[in-house]
Amino acid sequence: MRKLFLLITTLGLIMATGCNKPSESTNTAGSGGGKKLTIAFMPKSKGNQYFITCKNGAVKAAADLGIDLLFDGPTNTDPAKQNEIVENWITLGVDVIAVACENKEGISTALRKAQAKGIKVITFDSDSMPDARSFFVNQATATGIANVLMDTAAQLCGGEGEFAIITATLTANNMNEWRKNIDLRLKEKYPKMKLVETKPCDDQKDKAQQETANLLGAYPNLKCVMAICSPAVPGAAEAVKQAGKVGKVKVLGLGLPSENRAYVKDGVTQAVILWKVEDLGYLTIAAATALAKGELKPGATTFKAGKLGEIQLQGSDIVLGQPFVFTKENIDQFDF
Amino acid sequence: MSSSSKLNGWKSALLRHESVLLFLVLLEAFYFNAVGRNFATADNVGNIIRHSTEIGLLALVMMPIILTGGIDLSVGSLLGLCAVLFGKMCQEGGFSPLVAGGITLCIGAAAGGFNATLITWLRLPPLIVTLGTYSLFRGLAEAITKGTATYSKFPQAFLDFGNGALLGLPNQAWILLAVAMGVWLLIHQTTFGRSFRAIGFAPEGARYAGLPVERRVAMAYVLAGIVAALAAILFTARVTQARADAGIGYELLAVTAVVLGGTSIFGGTGTVHGTLLGVVAVAILSNGLSRILSISNVSRELSGMLTGALLVLALASGLLSKYIAAWRARRGVAG
Repeated sequence: MRKLFLLITTLGLIMATGCNKPSESTNTAGSGGGKKLTIAFMPKSKGNQYFITCKNGAVKAAADLGIDLLFDGPTNTDPAKQNEIVENWITLGVDVIAVACENKEGISTALRKAQAKGIKVITFDSDSMPDARSFFVNQATATGIANVLMDTAAQLCGGEGEFAIITATLTANNMNEWRKNIDLRLKEKYPKMKLVETKPCDDQKDKAQQETANLLGAYPNLKCVMAICSPAVPGAAEAVKQAGKVGKVKVLGLGLPSENRAYVKDGVTQAVILWKVEDLGYLTIAAATALAKGELKPGATTFKAGKLGEIQLQGSDIVLGQPFVFTKENIDQFDF
Repeated sequence: MSSSSKLNGWKSALLRHESVLLFLVLLEAFYFNAVGRNFATADNVGNIIRHSTEIGLLALVMMPIILTGGIDLSVGSLLGLCAVLFGKMCQEGGFSPLVAGGITLCIGAAAGGFNATLITWLRLPPLIVTLGTYSLFRGLAEAITKGTATYSKFPQAFLDFGNGALLGLPNQAWILLAVAMGVWLLIHQTTFGRSFRAIGFAPEGARYAGLPVERRVAMAYVLAGIVAALAAILFTARVTQARADAGIGYELLAVTAVVLGGTSIFGGTGTVHGTLLGVVAVAILSNGLSRILSISNVSRELSGMLTGALLVLALASGLLSKYIAAWRARRGVAG
């Protein structure tokens, strides 16, 4: 019985420390924050070089615009983690939440909760449900990316032959959108090319390498591997290199120049396609700041994004611009 | 004489593992309240409870298993499998969440029964059996969804339940409390609890004493299966989505909470309230760290590290109190 008493006292004490002083802490938050905006920024996963580069841009924007930046995100694939972080940010009392969404439907519940509490929400890189955010900072339209990928692949293969795709996960929203548009472009313009398989790599280089090695074994006539998530590009290149098929099997993909520089220079990887990632982080924070200050309102067609100048909107999409093809010739000009 | 023994009783109560842990939990709470932003608000306490419900449930049923000297590494995977099946039944089978939930609980019981059968009939070590079903259940979940399907079409009332509150506390809190009371009564107030302890302490001795060892052990694993299924339903309601990767790594978090709560990993000793304190200690730590703005950028990594430190600290202090007691006893004999 004494143990039961101990249990109840414990719970009671925790509740007491928990619930007694909401007003006091709200005050602290108010005076501590002053007029400086707090913007919380969440990648899909924290260790990914792509999102680290995004964060660098966000940090620069935060310094330029004079806001406080919070950066947090999942370190593993627990699908509940993004929701939990958003829910913690809501009670922390941030002004804007910016998220690259891993689970479209799941995260939207948490984001709607934030909006109900008066917190502004924008998404970047990968969108939520449209009603759960004010704006989506779009790195490039799905058709833009898919067309550049498919056109470059066709060009590398001479317009015919088998190719395979390595994607992050089969559930990632933006990747599936790209896949759909790649299929459309393929049917429309390149009837002699054949997509043999699409393999997920869970955003891991090792797994991408393994899957590519399997593909090379299974399809001896494979002419090209298209990797559409950033860790997969060096992974695919390493597999092609180890299989001794450099030049015979072309590699291209969406990735960071820095992670692929060695392979591009050795001629293993022919093309790396990407937008300017740092600018994506910068634009996200610029848009979040403008939204919080009331300078960016629904229905706007342009807004001023710090050093990036005037940025165009398409509906509720804030579009960064056209993707860029990094090759052996120009890759040394970029350091991200 | 009597006053000195009373004093000793009071001191040993203070040195008991649960008391040390309670002190650590309070220390955490006061520290984060002082340093963290908006830590001590009703909303945030709600967050802490909501976010640790599934782990808490798994820890509560992991505890009796560890008490018998076993372990169940399959509960996280089973959570994933049950979430997927529940989602599929609701979205494609046209079942209401209530009916689908009932079926899911039965599936959980069957999965726990499968573990129990392998462990008690074939006499295979629980670690090996549940390591196997850890892969098996997750694999089944991935096969059913082919790694791609995400179930998110649930009735609004069900989703509201996952994010709603009753009497100021999240709905999950009441379920967690009910399960905790149930397990507490089972372990501390019934002969079942005593037999779990006896089995963990000396399985052969328990058998010679006439205890139905197999049936009792099986009961612990079936209970774990049912509660893992319950956790799956709550997880789906909270995240408003069922996917094959739900609950990855939860089994180890549950084991951590149980061991932190003072249950011996070799079986035989442990308390349910200790396990609850273990859950609370880890939950407060990870939530509190994210409230300190200057370190919130690394809080997730830091919380893993500090959980490890907390575990070592709590176990070491438990050991210390044992040494002190042994030293006292020796001195008592000598005197």
